[in-house]
Amino acid sequence: MPPTTDLLQGTLDLLILRTLALEPMHGWGIAQRIQQVSKDALQIGQGSLYPALHRLQYKGWIHAEWGASENNRKAKYYSLTRTGQKQLESELENWGRLSTAIALVLK
Amino acid sequence: MLKQWLMRLRFLLAPKPHREIDEELQFHLEQQAEANVAAGMTPQEARRQAVIAFGGVEKTREESHQQRPSFYIETVLQDIRYALRGFARNPVFTLTILVTLMLGIGATTAVFSIVDRILFRNLPYAHADRLVSVGMVHSLETEFMLGYFYYDWQRAQKPFETLTSESATTRECDLTERNPAQLKCTSVEGNFLPTLGISPVLGRNFLPQEELPNGPKVALISYGLWLSHYNLDRGILNKPIDLDGDPVEVVGVLPKNFEMPRLQPVDVLFPLTAEEAADKKSNSGLGGPRRAFARLKPGVTIQQAEAELQPLFQNALKLVPADIRYDFHLKVRSLRDRQMQDVRTTAWVLLGAVLAVLLIACANVASLLMARGAARQRELAVRSALGASRGRLARQALTEALLLSIAGAVAGCALAEGLLRFFIAIAPATIPYLDQTRLDLRIVCVTVVLSIGCGALFGLAPAMQKPGEGMLSGRSFTAISHAVVRQWLVVTQIAASMVLLVAAILLLRSFHNLEDQKLGMRTDNTLTASVTLGQHTYSTAASRLAFFQELTRRLRFGPGISLVSVSDSIPPGGGPSGRLDEVVVAGRPAPRVSGVVASRLVSPEYFRALDISIIQGAGFREEDMTASQRPIVLSKRLAGLFFPNTNPIGQQMRFGKEPWSTVVGVAADVKNGGLAKEEVPEFYRLRRNLADDWDVGGVWGKTSVVVVRSSLPAEQTNRLIRSQVAALDPTLPVDIATLRQRVAKLADQPRFQTTLVSFFAATGLVLAMIGLYGVIAYLVAQRTQEIGVRMALGADKGDILRLVMWRSLRLIVSGIAVGLVAALAATRVLSSLLYSIGPHDPLTFGLVTVLLVLSAIVAALIPARSATSVNPIVALRCD
Repeated sequence: MPPTTDLLQGTLDLLILRTLALEPMHGWGIAQRIQQVSKDALQIGQGSLYPALHRLQYKGWIHAEWGASENNRKAKYYSLTRTGQKQLESELENWGRLSTAIALVLK
Repeated sequence: MLKQWLMRLRFLLAPKPHREIDEELQFHLEQQAEANVAAGMTPQEARRQAVIAFGGVEKTREESHQQRPSFYIETVLQDIRYALRGFARNPVFTLTILVTLMLGIGATTAVFSIVDRILFRNLPYAHADRLVSVGMVHSLETEFMLGYFYYDWQRAQKPFETLTSESATTRECDLTERNPAQLKCTSVEGNFLPTLGISPVLGRNFLPQEELPNGPKVALISYGLWLSHYNLDRGILNKPIDLDGDPVEVVGVLPKNFEMPRLQPVDVLFPLTAEEAADKKSNSGLGGPRRAFARLKPGVTIQQAEAELQPLFQNALKLVPADIRYDFHLKVRSLRDRQMQDVRTTAWVLLGAVLAVLLIACANVASLLMARGAARQRELAVRSALGASRGRLARQALTEALLLSIAGAVAGCALAEGLLRFFIAIAPATIPYLDQTRLDLRIVCVTVVLSIGCGALFGLAPAMQKPGEGMLSGRSFTAISHAVVRQWLVVTQIAASMVLLVAAILLLRSFHNLEDQKLGMRTDNTLTASVTLGQHTYSTAASRLAFFQELTRRLRFGPGISLVSVSDSIPPGGGPSGRLDEVVVAGRPAPRVSGVVASRLVSPEYFRALDISIIQGAGFREEDMTASQRPIVLSKRLAGLFFPNTNPIGQQMRFGKEPWSTVVGVAADVKNGGLAKEEVPEFYRLRRNLADDWDVGGVWGKTSVVVVRSSLPAEQTNRLIRSQVAALDPTLPVDIATLRQRVAKLADQPRFQTTLVSFFAATGLVLAMIGLYGVIAYLVAQRTQEIGVRMALGADKGDILRLVMWRSLRLIVSGIAVGLVAALAATRVLSSLLYSIGPHDPLTFGLVTVLLVLSAIVAALIPARSATSVNPIVALRCD
């Protein structure tokens, strides 16, 4: 297994929201997408993925719907709600500020 | 935002089935397996690898489930269900703790509600904390002022914003309208209401010109009078009312909650119309008596005010005869203190008693919960091993404590409501405002929070320690630290009950002394009727004489009536009326005795009606009633003071500057200074059938007491008196009571204190014994194994009993030792409430010690005996 990077507290929500901003996706797809995009640096275990998905759902940021997968299996697709969209924007902004600040300190 | 909340609500109301999560996770697994197959694994290996990579399905499912908003409520419900099951399994524990809490909360709340009204109620005046009562005091009178110095004080005083006064007496006045009634009237200065910070609800206060003599006749009326006689008619301001036959303009109505600073009932307030020069000459140069009240300037203390008034007071003293000046003092005290002068100690004693009960109750709750906690250590260890977090265990413990506390609080409030009604029913009328007492919400909150805090603190303590691995091993584990704390709690409880019991028994014995003493008169078959004649309808002495002559004549021929007497007062009322040094015996120099003397105006039948024996000479005779000479009868005590070695009969005496009287007899002593006080030397004057004898005593001279001795039941005689008074004058209020009732009324306050404190002492004792029993039972349970070993090694039942009882006795003795010291200190507060018994009465202390030791031994004996029946084989096998 390739070395993985520990996720910063709270960044998982941001990653999920960002991934779902492109298109509705099921849980496995989200994990795969994050892994691919991060070039295997970020591996999301299901143990944290699904509780997070449920949490976001209860917060009303994402919406779940049952649909058919690529291989015609019943799968639960998550999509961003309007509140989720707004939340993503504000979290991105926060992240930008935070990472700039950290970069400045570490320089 | 709203949509978000709606969605949350939907999740809360319609929980998602577990199935959905399972399906979703299953899908994830299959996708992973497919990916593995695509990477070249066999289907079987792909599936195996996928499951390995996936990890614990159950944990994910649980964690996803915990994200649900309703998860927290579910946990709480689960905790509650668990707690209730636990309580049902252990009903004795549950019931004990509930009863403890109920008694603790109930008693505390009820008594706090009463004491709060007495000690801490808000006086219905603006900034009442700055209001003071000010004046001279001497041994017979509380704060008063006289016209000869009042005006100077009002002008020269510095510490007060305003100084105001009311007339010293409230008199009867008659409403002489279509609906006649006898009212209570008094006069106040124009600045009286503004000083108190009161404005009329209707109309206005007095104007300056209305305060002048011969000014317009105006009055303020009470809300009660406005309601009962004028039906809250606002037109009352325009039409005059008839008071004592004169039209009086009503200028205003007092607020509904208005009360006079001295709390006396009043219906009508007149302006105090006194012209300074004339007032200073009246009352033989002393001026009219007043009661003065003042508002302190902001920042001025009572002590400062008193110091600043000293020069004025010293100046005013100059008119007081030099030989009695020592008896006069200046007094400035807060209005609250003035109103509460007599009941303050009672209130503090009750507060102390209730705090002691609360202490015992809390110690019991703590002790019980700790014992339960210790007994449950293994259960906690098992739950912890099964994955319960420390927070979860703490939450469970907290839930249990809260459930118990809330149930106890509800039961306690119900008990408090009942107790409050009971207290109000038995309380004497002298405790002001008790009938208005309600359960105070703030107090309920305080006690409930206290009990919950108590429960939470001690319920949480065992759950907070992470159970050790050793607990699972099955070895018994002794929580030594808990045991030590609990033993201290028991010592505290015994000490607190000791204090309570000592106080209760001292009060009980004092009350017994009070009830048991010789009154010096007979109280059975005797009815008394007190009638006060209004000064308008009965303005002349002759009319008063005529009224009582006619009433006596009518009653004397009533059925079953053997004796009727009329006097201006009857014992134990009346009380001291003058100083002994004013009594002059003919042919002797002025006496050098200090003390007070009482006097009564009586009819010849008085001594027979009350069965007071004449021990020397004769009483008054019927023919004296019209004679010109003035006979008097001395009490034995007075005769002993003035004629220790000579025969008093035939001696000439007088009181102050009154005409000379001849001593015709000596009567036995009677309780005339109140139940708790010594007999006051007394002389009786005959009230002859002459108008002169009915013209004394100012306002008090208008009240007379008719004593009727009858062979018929009291109710029948009661009706007869009422109807005869009504036949003469239907507007007159009559106050009828048997002499026994009047005497018993004097014992009301001691009875009230005694009942309450005894109730608390009994409660405290029961709670403390429960606590002691609990601790010993717990210690025995902990040492079951040890006892088993001892018995196996040959100890007999007596050894085991001694072992347990020795432990208990150590607790009992230390508790009693601490209690004795505390009680010796605490009962000093009681000394003013005790009658003919000292606060450190050795018999009481001995009695309480014996009582406590005995009940404590009984409480300890039950678990000790159960220890002796331990079967060694069972004890050794268990664990």
